[in-house]
Amino acid sequence: MPVIEVDGLSKTYRVYQKPEGLLASLRGLVRREYRLVEAVRGIRLAVEAGEFVAFLGPNGAGKTTTLKLLSGIITPTAGTARVLGHIPWKREDAYRRRFALVMGQKNQLWWDLPAAESFRLHQHIYRIDPQQFRRTCSQLAEMLDVAHLLQQPVRELSLGERMKMELIAALLHSPEVLFLDEPTIGLDVVAQHRIQSFLRHYQASHGVTILLTSHYMKDVAALCKRVVIIAQGSIIYDGSLSGIIDRFSGQKIISLQMANGQAFDQLDRFGEVLSVEPPRAKLRIRRSDVTQTLARLLSAHAVVDVTVEDPPLEEVIAEVFSHPEEHWGRKVGEAPDLMEDRG
Amino acid sequence: MPLRWRLATWWTLLQISIEERLVYRADFALGTLMRFLPIVTQIFLWSAVYSAVSDSHDGQIVGYTYHNMVAYYLLTMVSRAFSSMPGLASGIARDIRDGSIKKYLVQPIDMLGFLLVYRIAHKLVYYAVAAGPLALVFFLCRGFFDGWPDSTTLAAYALSLVLAFLLGFFLEATIGMIGFWFLEVTSLLFVYMLVSFFFSGHMFPIDMLPGIWGTLVRAIPLHYLAYFPAAIFLGKVQGSALVWGLVIQAAWVVLFCILSRVSFWLGTRRYSGYGG
Amino acid sequence: MWRYVRILITCARNSLVRDMSFRTNFVLETISSLSWVLMNLGFYVLIFRYAPEIGKGTGWGQYQFFMFLATGLLINSVVQMVFMINAEEFTEAVRTGALDFVLVRPIDTQFFISIRRFDWSALGNFLLGIALGVYALGKMGHLPTALQLILYALYVGCGIAIYYSLMIALAAATVWMGRNLTVLDFWFYITIFARYPMEIYSGPVGGVLRWAFTFVLPVLIVVNVPARMLLRPLLPQSTAEWMLPLFGLAATVACLGVSRWLFQKALENYRSASS
Repeated sequence: MPVIEVDGLSKTYRVYQKPEGLLASLRGLVRREYRLVEAVRGIRLAVEAGEFVAFLGPNGAGKTTTLKLLSGIITPTAGTARVLGHIPWKREDAYRRRFALVMGQKNQLWWDLPAAESFRLHQHIYRIDPQQFRRTCSQLAEMLDVAHLLQQPVRELSLGERMKMELIAALLHSPEVLFLDEPTIGLDVVAQHRIQSFLRHYQASHGVTILLTSHYMKDVAALCKRVVIIAQGSIIYDGSLSGIIDRFSGQKIISLQMANGQAFDQLDRFGEVLSVEPPRAKLRIRRSDVTQTLARLLSAHAVVDVTVEDPPLEEVIAEVFSHPEEHWGRKVGEAPDLMEDRG
Repeated sequence: MPLRWRLATWWTLLQISIEERLVYRADFALGTLMRFLPIVTQIFLWSAVYSAVSDSHDGQIVGYTYHNMVAYYLLTMVSRAFSSMPGLASGIARDIRDGSIKKYLVQPIDMLGFLLVYRIAHKLVYYAVAAGPLALVFFLCRGFFDGWPDSTTLAAYALSLVLAFLLGFFLEATIGMIGFWFLEVTSLLFVYMLVSFFFSGHMFPIDMLPGIWGTLVRAIPLHYLAYFPAAIFLGKVQGSALVWGLVIQAAWVVLFCILSRVSFWLGTRRYSGYGG
Repeated sequence: MWRYVRILITCARNSLVRDMSFRTNFVLETISSLSWVLMNLGFYVLIFRYAPEIGKGTGWGQYQFFMFLATGLLINSVVQMVFMINAEEFTEAVRTGALDFVLVRPIDTQFFISIRRFDWSALGNFLLGIALGVYALGKMGHLPTALQLILYALYVGCGIAIYYSLMIALAAATVWMGRNLTVLDFWFYITIFARYPMEIYSGPVGGVLRWAFTFVLPVLIVVNVPARMLLRPLLPQSTAEWMLPLFGLAATVACLGVSRWLFQKALENYRSASS
């Protein structure tokens, strides 16, 4: 049975439109105008125990809203969700004891106190056995290399160190499900890497189910086998990371190494020339044309070496994000073939 | 700054502050009404106090009848509407602390002039907003007044209100400048607010203070912020006392105008000395 | 239950640790709130130079009135110490979306947001309240009986509960309104009516106010009932007078219930500010 089951989940906000200008503000005193924002529309998703799933999507796509719905912070407009058999927005203690939420942009620790004091409060809130609490706490602090900072006021910590403390706070009660919202936002590369490897290690050893949203492809590539792409409130892809390329990119990149003395000026007959650095060149061609184009190329030029590659992932995803409507028709859940990608 | 620009700045400021105030209509409506609630309890308190004042005093406290007392409270509200400067001193202190005071040093703007214009705009908005409710309150309470005072008294009253505004401005500005020397002025400001609340006459007419206290409070300028204009309106200060009162009030304005300028000059010199 | 007590103690302790790390600030805050009270006291001393009691024949002479003030001080300082700072933080948390982290904790949300922080600087006012009360009782030469003290403590508790409910209800309103400023102002302006003995509200307008602030928004119960419990001259003499304390108990329960309901309703409306 899946740990997380979501069906038809929707959230619509009513937003007050602040009028511009003096006259309009005066009018706003009498009548207010609202706009409806569909943050999440009819999401369907199933996550098995022990999966590490990434939510990708442009800003405002509904990733964070989905996480908030699953942690019961907000109530949906329509649809159902069950996490660990509980309906999140009922906010039962039994459910809240079993998951944790980390948000990279919000702080849950007491700003002016050492992190250790916040942890102690968590111990009481989550009813953690004192011995186990001490053990978990020192273990996590050691793994993240922040044991020496536990007694320092949080406000004196660097962003990276604070994020590590946030993670410890979230993991103290050994949650079965972990929601991570942009956990590496604003961190430098070293700190990002540190947190990634910690998460990978922790997930592997504890078998927790993790949902992660992130802007950084590196996070996703390093951690998640399964990727869910959300755009404009809907899931437009659910599958493996490499599957994204097959799905959304109809193109291949051909790298050529020519024999000496070959002319490079007529390559644009075969496809879009990406770069020419004699004796090498790169072309972008349609995937369906690969065999045909290669044959023509090889007959027209003396080629020493040739490789056919997928376009870089970042590029494909950026393309998907900027034109989500083109991928509209391919909603997941209706497309059984996508499920195979998970393999 | 040429006058035209000055006027343009003034106009923009005015518009922005009005908009700022209209955005939250619930706040706006409630806030204006709420301001008059404390006076309701004060009226009842004094009514109870006066009911127990023995007849040997003609039902008066230091020359104030019950009606005088209520009228006095309403009038101090008007005085405070002119002389209170919410956020002025703390704003200056904050600008000093976070370094944004620098903008006045590098831009061709005179800080005190700028703040004064801003404050006038702010006050005008406030009067526009409060005029309706204030008029209503005064109309409902008209029974507490013995008619309008004569035109000379009214003129003196108007003058003392304008002076009270200027005194409040320069006094608070000077206090804000202390931020150049002590970074943490919040508690100092609280003490000022406290002392000013009691000894400006906002809480009670300072005539009630006995002996040395009364003399002491009259020697410091705070009572020109609330007590003095109200006392003029009620005819408690007349003749040469009135003239002298206005002259002394004006003198305090000039003194604090100079003090605020000097402390700003000394403060900025000290500030740039740090290279901050 | 024990868990909740332990959480309360941990929060109180954490706040103390925090306050002690800003010691100068703490001392200054204590001094300033004490001096505010003392200055007010000075004003009342001044009033009693000119009038023997507040309201002819009401029995609120200087020391009875001081007892009243002491009671108000006790109640207000507890509210300030425990709830006021939390109401402010709650409205802030609604604005910034920091409430998210409270909502995911396996603990009653209203409980947690109510006791998260302690404002220890209000302790000075609490102690001053006790000192003033003892002084007033001494001056009156009045030794309260054990029953009076128990009833006093009970009704001080009720008063705190009513103020707390009012504050929670107002804080809940911020979730709807999306702003906090006037809400705390509102609290201040309402509680102004509870500052003086209810007898001062006489006459037709006063009668309406007295009725409304007793039965609709029962803030007049808060200080009046416990203060009367302790003052012999004001002990309820007729059966009609007994109705007020009884009503006080009912009002406390009703206030707690209504504010809890409002708070739950408001949480359903929480939209969580996006970061």
